[in-house]
Amino acid sequence: MNISPLMDDGYAGEPAKRVLNYMQGRKQKGDPIVGIYCGYAPIELIQAMGLVPAVLCAFSKVPIPAAETVLPANLCPLIKSSYGFIIEGTCPFYAMSQAVIAETTCDGKKKMFELIADIKPTHVMDLPQVPDDREARRNWKRMILKLQGFLERTFDREADEKRIEAALKSSNRKNALMRKLFDYAALIPPVLHWKEMYDVGFLALPATGEEMAPILEVLLEKLEQRVREGTHFGKPGAPRVLVSGCPVGGDATKIFKVIEEAGGVVVAPDACTGMKAFAGVFEEDSGDPIAAIADRYLDIPCACMTPNNRRLTDLTAMIDRFKPDAVVDFVLQACHGYSVESYKIGRHVQETHGLPFLKVETDYADGDTGQLRTRIEALFESI
Amino acid sequence: MERRFAGIDIGSRTIELVVVDGKGRVVKSLKADTGFDPMAEARRLMDGVGYDGIMATGYGRNLFEIAFEAPTVTEIKAHARGARAFFAQATSVLDIGGQDSKAIALFANGKVKKFEMNDRCAAGTGKFLEIMARTLGFDIEAFGDEALRAEKETAISSMCTVFAESEVTSLIAKGQDRREIALGVHASVMRRVAAMLQRAAPEGDVVFTGGVANNGCLRSLLAQKLGRKVRHSPQAQFAGALGAALIAMEGKGR
Repeated sequence: MNISPLMDDGYAGEPAKRVLNYMQGRKQKGDPIVGIYCGYAPIELIQAMGLVPAVLCAFSKVPIPAAETVLPANLCPLIKSSYGFIIEGTCPFYAMSQAVIAETTCDGKKKMFELIADIKPTHVMDLPQVPDDREARRNWKRMILKLQGFLERTFDREADEKRIEAALKSSNRKNALMRKLFDYAALIPPVLHWKEMYDVGFLALPATGEEMAPILEVLLEKLEQRVREGTHFGKPGAPRVLVSGCPVGGDATKIFKVIEEAGGVVVAPDACTGMKAFAGVFEEDSGDPIAAIADRYLDIPCACMTPNNRRLTDLTAMIDRFKPDAVVDFVLQACHGYSVESYKIGRHVQETHGLPFLKVETDYADGDTGQLRTRIEALFESI
Repeated sequence: MERRFAGIDIGSRTIELVVVDGKGRVVKSLKADTGFDPMAEARRLMDGVGYDGIMATGYGRNLFEIAFEAPTVTEIKAHARGARAFFAQATSVLDIGGQDSKAIALFANGKVKKFEMNDRCAAGTGKFLEIMARTLGFDIEAFGDEALRAEKETAISSMCTVFAESEVTSLIAKGQDRREIALGVHASVMRRVAAMLQRAAPEGDVVFTGGVANNGCLRSLLAQKLGRKVRHSPQAQFAGALGAALIAMEGKGR
């Protein structure tokens, strides 16, 4: 594959290093860093205070043995990895962060946060999990206001409604451009590679709309050029795969690699590490920007929510847009929410869309790549 | 001279080689232990066997693909095809091999509709039965028949092979009848694969393939539990290799 990298800045294929470089630049300018773990952390509020959100390390198998000296082995690898990074002191983003924002997304994370709470100021947001209840919106808005108080006290900064409104407008602009970028993966054949989506996405998440817009404009132009030149990824007729489910980063990207080795192309990485982070629109000029933030975040279709019907509607929209030949539901070991929900996802994909579906349950270790390959190849045989 | 097609199934425990003629009739079936050097064993097995095309399946297929420049097919598709060769109408396939087990649902035309595999743990595989047979002092070939002679079952609650082995050891120490324990061991495997079958392939007769299909106790327990007919061929262990050979013949492989 001799296609010149989309983000030709010396960091192609190394999104974490690029983001680290960005963070260091912001820190040198005197902007404090706040660590975040999850897609529910309201980035716009953080940005409105001139703080920089840093996604903390959670995707390497390296620190897991250290984590298992304290945490049970039969726990989600993402939680074990996060904790291992902290006790081993190997996450540069955590080291840079002056405070950490966490959410009660799942039991394992909740209890893990207790174990790191005394290392750095750690604020846990109580995330409502019945999102369609009227009370949920109200409570989540309160939790965002409470976070605002925590950040104001910790960093001695303030955010007024005007700045919050400006931040969410900036995100709307950024997210719209990101979705435009993803459209190039929706083309048949795709002209955008999943690694490139990661290159862009990992930077776009913490960066502001103002920072990202000029970068994205250039990338979109490059993609247009690829279309004109007929540059694309995958062999003709390569099976197009939508990967839904748990976050996929670092060592977990083995699933994308296995899909490619088996001859497929990943056209739609759903999940918080993929396109989910850039979905949805904040209501602008509502007069209550915190409520607008609350609404947008509570619409994230995470399996910690019940019922999580939005995931099915979003999946349908994604299938229509990216035209996958098969859907893979990626479940991390011991992630009960995604694992149980997979049954509904499988039925939806097979019965509503008539597409082949495969649930894979795995961790960060390489030991099962052979077995994964067999499953993926068999999935492709059934297309 | 008539064209011949071979299929080779390089499994974790054994390698099977099947050669079919241009009409799909089996002209040769060979078997060997996989050992620690699967490619050397495969080469030995193929020595002097003539064919016009070969297709590989099983966990060693990718090694074989590189060593012999042969096309490959997954175990799932190969067993599905093999099962249809045994029973033309098959829509539910259960394969229990040395180190994995899989349930496959087929469309009426034989295409794979859905499948589920257990391959990260020995529970519910031939390996589990083998270890338990050894712990109980039975020959693996006779294990099923011995279990069938028990009047009642001693329940085994551990699903993990390692824990189940110590559970069995402590039952032996308590003086429990070893045939009753053997029946319990079979029931434990049966429950695991039955659940997998009900999820992945809940309808129709079950065609049982792989080496473990020769175990009569497991077949009858399964049929009882599922309320479905469990069919098998005496050649069940060759299903994967036969499927691969037929796919090679039909030119459907990649």
